[in-house]
Amino acid sequence: MRELTINIKVKKRIGVVFLFVLVLMVVIFLRLIWVQFVMGEDLREKAASARFRNVEVKAKRGVIYDAKGRPLAISVSTDSFYAIPAQVRKSEKAEETAEKLAAILGMDKAQLLELITKRQAFVWVKRHVPDEKAKEIKDLNLEGISFVEEPERFYPKGQLLAQVLGFAGIDNQGLAGLEVSYDKVLSGVSGTIMVEYDARGQEIPDALQKYIPPQDGNSIVLTIDETIQYIVERELDEIMKLRNPKRTGAIVIDPKTGRVLAMAARPAFDPNQYQNYDESYWRNFLISDSYEPGSTFKTVVLSGAMEEGVAKITDRFYCPGYVKVGKEIVKCWRHGNPHGSQSLLEGVQNSCNPVFSTIGLKEGKDVFFRYLYGFGFGKKTNIELPGEALGILVNKDKAMDIDLATMSIGQANAVTPIQLLTAFAAIANDGNLMKPQLVKEVRDKEGNVVKTVEPEKIRQVISKDTSRSVMSILETVVSAGTGRNAYVEGYRVGGKTGTAQKIIPGGGYSTSEYIGSFMGVAPVNDPQVVCLVVVDAPQGTYFGGQIAAPAFKNIVRDTLRYLQVPAQVEPEKLAENQVKSVVVPDVVAKEQNEAVRQLEKLKLTVDVVGNGTKIKVQLPVAGSQLPESGKVILYTSMPAQGDNPESVVVPDFTGKTVGEVQELARLLNLNFELQGSGVVVQQEPVPGDQVPVKSKIIVIMEPKSKSTLEPVGP
Amino acid sequence: MGLKKGSPDILIFFAVMILLAVGIIMVFSASYYDTLDKDPYYYLRKQLFWALLGIVTMVFMMRINYFRLKPYINTAFAVTLVLLVLVLTPQFGVEVKGSTRWLDLGFTRLQPSEIMKLCLILYFAKNLTRKGSDITSLISGLGPYLLLIGLVGLLIMKEPDMGTLLAILAPTMILLFAAGIRWRHIALLGFSGLLALVALIVQEPYRLNRIVGYLDPWAHASKEGYQTINSLYALGSGGLFGMGLGNSRQKLDFLPEQHTDFIFAILGEELGFIGAFFVILLFAVIAWRGYRIALTCPDSFGSMVALGITSSIVCQAFINIGVVTGLLPVTGISLPFISYGGSSLLFSMISIGVLLNVSRFSHSP
Repeated sequence: MRELTINIKVKKRIGVVFLFVLVLMVVIFLRLIWVQFVMGEDLREKAASARFRNVEVKAKRGVIYDAKGRPLAISVSTDSFYAIPAQVRKSEKAEETAEKLAAILGMDKAQLLELITKRQAFVWVKRHVPDEKAKEIKDLNLEGISFVEEPERFYPKGQLLAQVLGFAGIDNQGLAGLEVSYDKVLSGVSGTIMVEYDARGQEIPDALQKYIPPQDGNSIVLTIDETIQYIVERELDEIMKLRNPKRTGAIVIDPKTGRVLAMAARPAFDPNQYQNYDESYWRNFLISDSYEPGSTFKTVVLSGAMEEGVAKITDRFYCPGYVKVGKEIVKCWRHGNPHGSQSLLEGVQNSCNPVFSTIGLKEGKDVFFRYLYGFGFGKKTNIELPGEALGILVNKDKAMDIDLATMSIGQANAVTPIQLLTAFAAIANDGNLMKPQLVKEVRDKEGNVVKTVEPEKIRQVISKDTSRSVMSILETVVSAGTGRNAYVEGYRVGGKTGTAQKIIPGGGYSTSEYIGSFMGVAPVNDPQVVCLVVVDAPQGTYFGGQIAAPAFKNIVRDTLRYLQVPAQVEPEKLAENQVKSVVVPDVVAKEQNEAVRQLEKLKLTVDVVGNGTKIKVQLPVAGSQLPESGKVILYTSMPAQGDNPESVVVPDFTGKTVGEVQELARLLNLNFELQGSGVVVQQEPVPGDQVPVKSKIIVIMEPKSKSTLEPVGP
Repeated sequence: MGLKKGSPDILIFFAVMILLAVGIIMVFSASYYDTLDKDPYYYLRKQLFWALLGIVTMVFMMRINYFRLKPYINTAFAVTLVLLVLVLTPQFGVEVKGSTRWLDLGFTRLQPSEIMKLCLILYFAKNLTRKGSDITSLISGLGPYLLLIGLVGLLIMKEPDMGTLLAILAPTMILLFAAGIRWRHIALLGFSGLLALVALIVQEPYRLNRIVGYLDPWAHASKEGYQTINSLYALGSGGLFGMGLGNSRQKLDFLPEQHTDFIFAILGEELGFIGAFFVILLFAVIAWRGYRIALTCPDSFGSMVALGITSSIVCQAFINIGVVTGLLPVTGISLPFISYGGSSLLFSMISIGVLLNVSRFSHSP
């Protein structure tokens, strides 16, 4: 009996054990499901990442071409060497390897040894090794040292277009300029070689090797034309040399499309060695910095006012040297010698501040701002470059009359050069504002066009008629006004000078630093290019008409010829250049009628001043050479001594030498101030103005140029 | 003894033979890469040798009626105890990876703790079923067994070999439990076991690290948790169908002990959940048939032997798979019939031989 009860108890307990073991089995079973299925995916990935080494295969960065397909930025493949330290250690020749590498690469042996035996899966030994050295290393066949081809950016034209192109870094990443804004297009997609390694860092014999080939980047074709860019940069270099400004820049745009043909700034840098330049050199101030443009902005004000009918070509203005706005006064730049009564045309030619302030005030705040916004000021132009500035406009809600008066002469508002020229391009383009554009095509690596960027019209700001009127007014600025230095032989050019005091950071205007600029268009009757030249803080002369206009002239002349724009010299101007000069006879002491008759016979034009009957003084003096239809002034009474001693008519000093100016000024009882040397090219006040005696005449002189017409292209 | 002799349990026999075959293949697969530059067939050859020897001894033991073993048990136990002491002497013991578990016999190495596992089961089975044995008393009944376990445990701890200690503790405790010790004594034993564990951890700090690695392997991925994590990587990579035989990646030196203690992880990686589950199923078959033999054996000694041997194999399998799946802290214990290891395999096969012999006398009730 006892045996049996024990047996039953034992059997029960065995049953308990069996049950317990079954529970354990189920637990194991559930755990296995958890590990292999629930955690499975995660574990698989972690396991793979522990044994796969990824060697990145860089995609080749796309080429940047100019408008004619000339490469401006290309990628060349160079070899980059890396070490797998585990393999180097295993070879037991680490010392030897380091020594050989150090010799070829010119590196420190000890450092190199440390590097290639580092407890790391992968180390770069040296990237972008020149071909010859790379071959030497490859020939050594060093264990644990391998290489990959890595593309390296190369800018074959060096400094050309540097601030626009920007540059790409060692890892093929865009760091500045178009290289940044088109980084996604250019960079492509990196590929990888994934190699399986065992836990000791050795490549396993039948390893899975996954190769994901890189997708090379697409190329972009710019609207920039290398030749025009070169012309512009040449002129900027000239300005740097002559005027030594802090910086200077220029933009050329095709107004009909908004396509930027050239954009350059100085000082520049070589993107191949961007690291060697201070970051400030990388900055493209033409889009990133704003400035108060000064008189060039008057073109915008004029356009708006004429469109609104606030200013008409027949309007007349009076400049007392200033304009009063409430309690405040806006001075004319020539307040010491006011322009007096003038037409709108003369007002523009003279760049008269009171004329524009008057127009602005008449227009009113709402209309003024409507055109400001309409021309795109205060907003980015969205040109395809990083770091574009908005510009700073006077707050419309807080704008007072004085603000309106100063804004009208190009002060108070800060704009970027690209904003200003984009607006001006709209004026030239029948009033149609185009988005400035740098890239016209994206191509794949076979050269097939992937995307074409069409010109984008934003809006029409002024009418075609207004556009034409403004163009013709601006043409006279160049032919007869402050912009004479921009005159391009053979082409009809319009434009506007600008001279602005620099704003001192923190407020107020600098008394010593100016920004001189010139903005123009050619040809005015069929605009092909608009161009803005900005010179920041030049040494010496700072008038836009003096420092920026000559560069503008050269840029436009060479560009138009390069673009094969037919020359359109007016017949009379051609004739003028072909006539023989006439020797002025002596008519002093002759009767007025007789003298006039004699001079007109010689096809000279005659101006008689005074109310006497006999000629007292003649200008130019006898024996002087004058071109046909040149002007001779005859004084029938001694100016300033005779009947009307208070005022005198300002003679034309143009083309005269210092001696001639002196003699004439003494005769007329005028003071004068000379600027520059050579012959007179410009004067203030303009000839024919009635001025009080002893007034000061400012004459600007320049070295005598060979005024022969240069050969004109087809 | 008037017992009727039948045929051995065919299910256990096949389960073991399949496990053995799977083991040989997996040992080859798991060790192949590691020995590639020397002799990739080294472990395969040795495992094949031990497997054949194991089959021979299994068949041999199957044919010796288990109750005939009874008179030799005391001697065998005493001799094994001496061997365990010899292991600890520098003259005879062989140290591998910081543990001294083997005796060098010249042609091969022998692990006495594996013999002790079987001897202790037989010794307990014999004495627990002796006439007049009363396990219910703590001092006179249970005391001697505990002292014996303590002695053996101490010797094995000296090697040290926690895994084998666990593999010995589990079946002997189950035997004591089945023999009818009181529940309060069980509670007492459990409590003192816990104290012992604490003592052991205080004694050797590396044991604490294993616990730490066990509790949060990911936070200690490069040290304490390294084995567990790589084991889980292997299992996780396997998924349902596995990466295919021979295609394990974790065996490329990522997972240490890939052909011994962690072979189940490689199996799970190459053969997937299907393969791993199949192996667990085979152990379940052994458990089911083994306990069934224990329940149906008309002789209480045979019953205890079957219980002990079955528990020994099944518990060892559970602990091993528990470690591999991260359920238990890392402890060096092999997976019966599958892990590489001569002594372990040989004595597992001898045990199965004994179990199969018991089965010949068990009949369905």
